[in-house]
Amino acid sequence: MKSLLVKNQPWITLLSRLILGGVLLAAGGLKVGKPTESANATAAYKILPTDLAHLIGYALPWIEVAVGLLLIIGVMVRYSAIFSGLLMIVFIGAIASVWARGMLIDCGCFGGGGEIDPSLKSQVHRAYFTEIMRDLGLALCALYLYLFPYGKLSIEKQAQPIEE
Amino acid sequence: MAKQAAKKTDNTTRWIVLAMVSLVVITGVVFSLFGQSNKESASIAGLDGYKLKPAVTSTIDTANGSAITFDNGSATVIDVWEDPQCPVCKYFEDANGEYLDSLIREKKATVRFHVLSFLGDESVRAANASFCAADENQYLDFHKALYSVQSELENSGFWSNETLVEIGKKIGITSTRFENCVTKGEKVDLVQANSDSMSKYGVQGTPTVFINGKLWERTQNAFVLEEFKAAVEGA
Repeated sequence: MKSLLVKNQPWITLLSRLILGGVLLAAGGLKVGKPTESANATAAYKILPTDLAHLIGYALPWIEVAVGLLLIIGVMVRYSAIFSGLLMIVFIGAIASVWARGMLIDCGCFGGGGEIDPSLKSQVHRAYFTEIMRDLGLALCALYLYLFPYGKLSIEKQAQPIEE
Repeated sequence: MAKQAAKKTDNTTRWIVLAMVSLVVITGVVFSLFGQSNKESASIAGLDGYKLKPAVTSTIDTANGSAITFDNGSATVIDVWEDPQCPVCKYFEDANGEYLDSLIREKKATVRFHVLSFLGDESVRAANASFCAADENQYLDFHKALYSVQSELENSGFWSNETLVEIGKKIGITSTRFENCVTKGEKVDLVQANSDSMSKYGVQGTPTVFINGKLWERTQNAFVLEEFKAAVEGA
């Protein structure tokens, strides 16, 4: 089992890049065309001052698209992995904070966002759980890529040690 | 040697990539910011040439949540709970606003507007200005103007007291009393009273509408005038 993992590391790296990069690209891509919606969604978490939340709401979709592309094509994978790993931790923290404060919102992860009617409470709580689990999985992908950034179909190649 | 050279070019590429990513992000943010403020100023310009309708006197019904009340002795009583920043309230206004206006002007229904402000500071300011407009007997027009310029971005900085005074001026509420009332926040107590009364009536969100004390809800996703009209006429 262990040797199988070692042997297939380049393929696992590729898979992780495609999963993490693909989700980021999709999440960002669905939001870049709707900056107002994204800014409202960030403000709905009520964690940061409204103006700052709006700025982050404007910037985040573009950042997600950029980092997603870097991961997919395989450029600066280790740095992108560190960044997206931290991003996932922030997302998990933000959703947990909203949940803990008893607020009912749409995470706005793939567009949408904002407050949700109290009648849908149980559905929203289930959604929070799913979202945290999903982001946890993506954070694990990021961790793997931090450890093994070089794999198949990557623009950046591992520097080969030169025999003297 | 060869190894060192390879490492150097790699670093250059890294900086170029980082710079390009930053450029994309900054451009995106700048465009979003300008787009938003352009939309907001365009909406204010849209009020040019607004024709103020005849004044209608309203009262503050302290027995019913301190709502802005148009009581004409009609047997039908409609309670409308709204937050000026709430987007769905704008949909309600777009579909049913004119009809509600005609009910009040033609004395076919008593209407109480409960002006809420749970969406943030700009809701508080807009609610305060609404009560100021009610003192000028122009709440109906001010209410309509507010929804017609409502920003898609909540608390964007658009509804400053200056803008709210400007909205009043654009539609023909020009008295200094209105201006002072808005800039000094003279009606914040009423704003608070309206917001405090929510729990008593079991109102959790906006828009919430009661017809003769009975909760009215749309059956479709969108507000349809005929549906609301039928509910009012059947009451």
